[in-house]
Amino acid sequence: MSRRAAAELLSAAYWGPVVALLELRWRLHRSDAEDLAQDFFAAAFAKDWFARYDAAKGRFRTFLRTCVDRFASDAARAKARLKRGGGADEESLDAADTDLIGAPDETDARIHDEWVRGVLAVALDAFRSEAQAAGKSTQVAIFVAYDVDDPPDAERPSYRSLAQRFGISETQVTNYLNWSRREYRRHVLDALRALAGNDAEFQEDARDLLGNRPV
Amino acid sequence: MTTLTPQITPSRPGALSQSAAARLRATLAESPLPERYRLIEVIGEGGMGVVWRAHDTVLARDVAVKVLAAHLASDELVTRLAREARILATLEHPGIVPVFDLGSATDGTPWYAMRLVQGKRLDVAARDGRDRRDLLRIVEQLCDTVAYAHAHGVVHRDLKPGNVMLGPFGETLILDWGVARDADPDFRAGTVVGTPGFMAPEQAAGLRGDATAEARADIFGLGAILRELVAVHDDPVPRRLQSIIDCATAADPSGRYASALDLRDDLRRFAANERVLAHRETIVERVGRFASTHQTAILLVLAYLVMRVGILLWRGI
Repeated sequence: MSRRAAAELLSAAYWGPVVALLELRWRLHRSDAEDLAQDFFAAAFAKDWFARYDAAKGRFRTFLRTCVDRFASDAARAKARLKRGGGADEESLDAADTDLIGAPDETDARIHDEWVRGVLAVALDAFRSEAQAAGKSTQVAIFVAYDVDDPPDAERPSYRSLAQRFGISETQVTNYLNWSRREYRRHVLDALRALAGNDAEFQEDARDLLGNRPV
Repeated sequence: MTTLTPQITPSRPGALSQSAAARLRATLAESPLPERYRLIEVIGEGGMGVVWRAHDTVLARDVAVKVLAAHLASDELVTRLAREARILATLEHPGIVPVFDLGSATDGTPWYAMRLVQGKRLDVAARDGRDRRDLLRIVEQLCDTVAYAHAHGVVHRDLKPGNVMLGPFGETLILDWGVARDADPDFRAGTVVGTPGFMAPEQAAGLRGDATAEARADIFGLGAILRELVAVHDDPVPRRLQSIIDCATAADPSGRYASALDLRDDLRRFAANERVLAHRETIVERVGRFASTHQTAILLVLAYLVMRVGILLWRGI
């Protein structure tokens, strides 16, 4: 994997968790959290922070969280200094350092959910690109229609309706879905493997995300 | 983790709603096995796959289903799992778990269903206070099973206490035939297999031969199990038993027992206090063994002799 591809994968997978952390722990509004997340990733790539990660010392997510906290803390101090210089009322984000809106469990759960979404989204993008390049647009479209798109009436489309919509047989819908799910699963595992610091972390993440699913 | 270059702007993933993520996750978590098998719980996890307790809804019984874990799936392991199932299916022996069914999941990954074995692994059970005689009997049973497999051209290649299950009714089963080889001339052994401490030197060195030659590696494994079980007790190891262990675990394969049955027979001879082939007895040992075997007879003879001597002395007086 090229460095650029690795950077894109990292920021895409961890965008959600970083924004969630900034929102919940640093009490930032969504737009401010996104701006700071943008600055964080830009600085991390520019200064090669992620190269300092040592898998032997812990999970990458823990390392990332520490980096974000330090970055946010520095940003808060810088902001406070600016405000003092301008004579405005001091409003330091330092105070938010330990003043959490949600309980830690809630924060962790949200960050975990965002990480899951990030990995699934990254894998979906990769699956879509690869399958479409291989001329399997119909398979992708059926997979997206059945497994990804939110159905308007909260009920998934039937195989029959998909068969009619795409002009194929129901058996083909079944086969296309099976193929797509298998390929999508492979992309999910590829993404997890690329994002994990070591094999043990990969296996733990895979078990976590797949719910200890056997195959 | 790949190191990154500067001047890279972060990218945001495509939008994925919470409900879509939940749906995708559920899809990934779906069992790809046939409806016949309802997975209940994970009962074992090894280097190759996950073993589930599952309910066979057709025959209304619980079975064990071994499948590759998603994160372990590779072409080599997929082939190995299917090979294991087929090898097991060719072996019908009380010491080998029978395979009921073999299939492929929706993504092509093989799985197989087998008898659900409930019991204790030998490495655990050995420390439950069993006496040495009992442990030696278990090794004898293992020898029988291994000899049967060898007779069918199958070599286990990873014999160790952790791969032996003791059932509640005296069953002794050899598990995990994942790295076994059969008589297939096209068999490719792959990388070094086995477990340190139980692996024959030629295995550790990656040397390969045909199934017959590799059967000696199983003899080493049996000997290593024997050594492990004997060490459970603090009592000194009898020299004759030590000779059996030494012979089975000889560094040179040609110095080991020629077959698992030879090892079993020597263990039986040891248990019966007969002369074991692996041990060259001294005259003192032979007399001592004879004396302990015929203790009662010797005592009777001695008593008779003492009595006769007493009578002679009495008459002489």
